Amino acid sequence: MILIGELSLWVALLMATWGTTVGFAGGFSRRAELIASAERASYATFGFLALAAVGLWTALLRSDFSFRYVASYTSANLPSIYKFTAFWAGQSGSLLLWAFILSGYSAIAVYTNRSRNRELMPYVTATLSAITLFFVMTLCFGSNPYERLDWIPPDGTGLNPQLQNPGMAIHPPNLYLGYIGTAIPFAFAIAALITRKLDAGWLSAVRRWTLISWFFNTTGIILGMWWAYVELGWGGYWAWDPVENASFLPWLVNTAFLHSIMVQEKRGMLRKWNVTLVVSAFLLAIFGTFITRSGVISSVHSFAQSSVGYWFLGFLVIAFAITVYLVSTRLHDLESKAELESLVSREASFLFNNLLLVGIAFAVLWGTLFPILSEAVTNNKITVGPPFFDKVNIPLGLTLLALTGIGPLIAWRRASLANLKRQFTAPVLAGITTGAALLAVGMRDVPALIAYTLCGFVTGTIVQEFWKGVGARRRMYKENPVTALLRLVARNRRRYGGYIVHVGIVILFAAFAGLAFKEEFDVTLKGGDTYEATDPYGNQWRFVSQGVSRYEELNRQTTAVLLDAYRNGKQVGVIKTEKRQYTDSRGVPTFQPATEVGIMEGVRQDVYVVLAGVTGEDTAEMRITFNPLVWWVWYGGMIMAVGGLIVMWPQAERRRAQAGYSTVLQPATHT
Amino acid sequence: MNRRRFLAAAGASVALMAISRSARAQEEGPQVNTGAANAPMESERYKPVRLEAKGPAIMDTNARDALEHHLHCQCGCNLDVYTCRTTDFSCEVSPAMHKDVMALVAGGYSAPEIIKAFTAVYGDRVLMAPPASGFDLAAWIAPFGALGAGIALVVLLLRRWHAPAVALVTIDPSTVDATQDEQARLDALVHRDDR
Repeated sequence: MILIGELSLWVALLMATWGTTVGFAGGFSRRAELIASAERASYATFGFLALAAVGLWTALLRSDFSFRYVASYTSANLPSIYKFTAFWAGQSGSLLLWAFILSGYSAIAVYTNRSRNRELMPYVTATLSAITLFFVMTLCFGSNPYERLDWIPPDGTGLNPQLQNPGMAIHPPNLYLGYIGTAIPFAFAIAALITRKLDAGWLSAVRRWTLISWFFNTTGIILGMWWAYVELGWGGYWAWDPVENASFLPWLVNTAFLHSIMVQEKRGMLRKWNVTLVVSAFLLAIFGTFITRSGVISSVHSFAQSSVGYWFLGFLVIAFAITVYLVSTRLHDLESKAELESLVSREASFLFNNLLLVGIAFAVLWGTLFPILSEAVTNNKITVGPPFFDKVNIPLGLTLLALTGIGPLIAWRRASLANLKRQFTAPVLAGITTGAALLAVGMRDVPALIAYTLCGFVTGTIVQEFWKGVGARRRMYKENPVTALLRLVARNRRRYGGYIVHVGIVILFAAFAGLAFKEEFDVTLKGGDTYEATDPYGNQWRFVSQGVSRYEELNRQTTAVLLDAYRNGKQVGVIKTEKRQYTDSRGVPTFQPATEVGIMEGVRQDVYVVLAGVTGEDTAEMRITFNPLVWWVWYGGMIMAVGGLIVMWPQAERRRAQAGYSTVLQPATHT
Repeated sequence: MNRRRFLAAAGASVALMAISRSARAQEEGPQVNTGAANAPMESERYKPVRLEAKGPAIMDTNARDALEHHLHCQCGCNLDVYTCRTTDFSCEVSPAMHKDVMALVAGGYSAPEIIKAFTAVYGDRVLMAPPASGFDLAAWIAPFGALGAGIALVVLLLRRWHAPAVALVTIDPSTVDATQDEQARLDALVHRDDR
């Protein structure tokens, strides 16, 4: 199987080359047999890359240390689940995962469009094959997972302990599914530009793919935050690290596109802008991969420095140049069909929403790249860390949050004063009430107060939208409130699914604002010692050390400290925090000691204990942190994912229509 | 070129590339770098920051910890001094920098003075954010400048797009030949987009 996998990688290279060549040739010459051949090649590429992936998994699970990759990322005593996930722990394995997912996406896109978008499909197929070809070439000639060692080591290096976590098992595939999802809209955009078929047709083809990309990017980022929080031990879930930023950039641009596409569908505006966003999301995904793999920017998450990053840089430059040429030669075809009539309109609010999302993306990109620029100009090394990103992005983020509440309240084209009064009264009151209540209970942190006031306002908007919708259904169909709510969402998934995503956003912002009240304490405790602290809610906590214990487990030596935790005099639990020294099958230490954070989770706050180290026999050095509202991040993320799924789900009427049961499609009501 | 010829040519190209590749060693490193650097303390990583004491301490522990959040640990971990020293005991750089901070706090120095002392020794790389001066001021200005330019562009576009005012014609309601029901349906259609 391993040999078949190795050979399949090379056959996939041929198939992708074939698909690219005959796809473009078929498109330009309009020869149906070439187009059909390119489409079959995309299925074949997927098949061969699947075999290549199965081959590598087989080598990993069998601990075949004759392969450099297997020896570098696994050891004989590594649990099987992590041998499986070691597939994406290193450079070449993760590149194979990229190529495999991309070929799978391509095959699905080709299959689902076998009777639609036929004028675009030759170029879509060829563009996707070209992207796959780049990845397979990188694998074959730059970073081959099937590279063999000259000798077979008795055991492998093992997997970095911080990757031995369920979060890391599912976070990278999710993120890759999101990143790679941007390739399909990009291919459609290139096809639409080549054929000059730049009406709304190509947009409807890419909307769902953008949603898929957005959905996986969202879940990937949230899972990555969770992994960083429970595994890295620095006390937070987001550090504005370059690699984190790289994952955030396509998300911001995709989010902007999912809003601006509505303006094009509804008003025929923002055509150039939408093409630019679709293309930018893909280029930023490739840029993120370049950052992660080139080592040009220092990051705690990056892969080992290698030449592969420069393959990506080359690909990025070529893709950028082609795109700029195509867009610049088709500007006339991208002229808007309508004009913005008023700044007080829904399309204007979407425009400002886009401006802010892209503005945040620019700020994040700028901050990420600025150390390189500064060093090039001034020859001085500088750091652009969380204080910069927080200062720049907090005002932009809060304005964006305000627009999340304003957008749905304003009518399309031009809002009247009466419309504004009617729509804004309740949400503004909700916001003011929230702010006043928090002020009354003693909250004095101004940014947090603004954030919670805006959260109240946006919540008011969403509740009002649901209230009106449910009320209308109850009046029209005499339904009970629950049935009316469920049917309201089911009948207009795009609009109300979007509002559910907004609920998730509000919860996330509330959680981020909670960080303003984080409390940290350096603690040194011997067995039996007590430490007392006050949390942000004013509760008195007492932590009693049960002492330090040391023991061995399957593939590690563990040093653990148990703390009895008391809140206002009542014991509420025991917190265990660990340092782990991982070893190979011969008991030889393999990596630096890893932190296993002790977390007492709660809806209001987490008590987060990190064992920094042990001095002497029994003295533990720890950091105890009260982290307010961290669970809200995970809840907010889950709600966003659910909202995204609802938006993505095909409408029943549309499914029936596609199956030929109905010939009449009602125009959808979009937000 | 028929399909068979194309495949033969592609196969030959791939074989040639594979041969040329075999001469090159792969540069891939052995492991993903996912944690703090934890590198041993080297002279270029840690540099002592010492000043003569000038009076009693004027900062409390909280202010000191807040200050350490603005100093970049030089071990290569991308974390600030406070977070690094309280996360991983194996880092030798952040505890050493912390000791210098404590000594300066005890010597009566304020937060800006301590930051200035660290910058004098390490340069601007010891700060967690670029200084708002010289070329690095661009880091702070550019995001807001770009956003301002974007807003200005939207306003300009709006002015360009703004259609010339259409003269409104006043109609006497009594002359409209429509039933009340027809008028209501017309109003509903006109205001459909407002929903």
